[in-house]
Amino acid sequence: MIEIFQWSTLATCGLIAAARIPSALRGENRSLFYIFALMTAAIFLSIEAPYIAVDRALGGINLANLLLRFIIFSAIYFVGIRVTRGFGADHAYRLITGRLGMMVLLVISLVMTALFFLMDTVGSSAGLSATSGKSELNFALVEYYGAAGRAYPSYVSLVLLPAMVRAVGSRLPVLVRFAAGLLALGGIAIALTLLFPLVPPEWGALEFIVNYTAVLCFVLGLALIWAARVRNSRSPGPKRTSTEA
Amino acid sequence: MTLPAKAFQRWLQGIAPDASTADVCRISGIKRTTLAQQLVRGKVSVSTVVSISRAYNINPVAALADFEPYRELAGPQQPPARCELVSQISTADLLRAMLARPGMDPAGEPGDKPPALSPAPHATSVKNWVDAIDDGEVRHRVSAATGIAPQNYSAQLTANRLSAELAVATARAAGVGAASGLVATGLITEEEAGWPPDARQAALDSLSDGDLAALAGDRLQALGKVLRRQEQDQAQTEKIWENLG
Repeated sequence: MIEIFQWSTLATCGLIAAARIPSALRGENRSLFYIFALMTAAIFLSIEAPYIAVDRALGGINLANLLLRFIIFSAIYFVGIRVTRGFGADHAYRLITGRLGMMVLLVISLVMTALFFLMDTVGSSAGLSATSGKSELNFALVEYYGAAGRAYPSYVSLVLLPAMVRAVGSRLPVLVRFAAGLLALGGIAIALTLLFPLVPPEWGALEFIVNYTAVLCFVLGLALIWAARVRNSRSPGPKRTSTEA
Repeated sequence: MTLPAKAFQRWLQGIAPDASTADVCRISGIKRTTLAQQLVRGKVSVSTVVSISRAYNINPVAALADFEPYRELAGPQQPPARCELVSQISTADLLRAMLARPGMDPAGEPGDKPPALSPAPHATSVKNWVDAIDDGEVRHRVSAATGIAPQNYSAQLTANRLSAELAVATARAAGVGAASGLVATGLITEEEAGWPPDARQAALDSLSDGDLAALAGDRLQALGKVLRRQEQDQAQTEKIWENLG
């Protein structure tokens, strides 16, 4: 069940990324293509079989996991920039690209990398489950490493959240408001990942659902804004006025 | 706003006893599926009654008076006040009239006689009508009498919409003729409401240059606000397309 869901999410995201290739070649908003491509890569690496294959190629010490974390960081960073720019959320933009945002990114990245190399990571295993089982120290390190990996995406999505909630209630086109709602939902889901250490192990499926809800909400939200633009440029139509009967 | 299907069937029996639903639709130009759906749901729209009564040469105001919520439309109507008549003149017509006034340019040649007024309603006729009859408390009384939340009522006025029931309730709360609001919402024509053919023109002509200039100024100011807001919305949407499209 979970596998089907993973592969179909991958397919959705991959298709959207592929669909962006022509406009990326024309030079329209290339960073959006990068966002979709990075997200596709992240989903790819989060599935067990591809993860093992990639990691073996990288030496079998779970470097692919570290790579996955940084792919997620860069994807969420670009999402943050594009979305705050688009929605005119200048304060949020500064919180991501300004000194504070850069400090947060740097500290979290350093801590995460340090934790990674403190662990005994030999032997590819998705989600570092094998590493976690090696010793109590490794178990604790994997927990902290995971928390660091979730911290930066949570920071960005919490920064985005107020602007998205505002956009939902604005007078923007309906599709855009719906997309903002999806982005807000994705942001909430990512922020909820911070609470994962509190989730009892037998509810592992819950973590999975929250993760994939977040990814799907972000991908579909961004794709929807793109669709809204395509729709808008195809039917310029009479300008809708608030005085219309 | 809707009328109960039972009352509608009884009314239809009274005006077209032998006509089938198909006949009624054909004569009145209502889509058969539309009427069928309204009958199935038990809620017939006011505009359906208006279209059918016009097709059978019955004054729609008299037809509506057959239904419980619109009893007060029966009998002779209070004639429209001057402010109501002027409120149903479009901003463009008011400005044209102003240009032709001597007060506009005392030294110059008198302007051309402006063309005939375009028929009511116009793009802001609902809001202008309510503003014209508002003693400052009308909105309050309407919301108390009908239970509509003040912000919903305002939103309808801003969108130049008002349900027939609310239009009648507003007229009642302001103590003006019950049919005036139905003219402002465009449900019925001035003639059907019993307004004399040149009433609006006469009301306009009776305004002094000063009053007309002040009124035109108010209208322009309101128009400026609406247009500026639209431009801001448009700019915000463009920004989203530019960054996320």
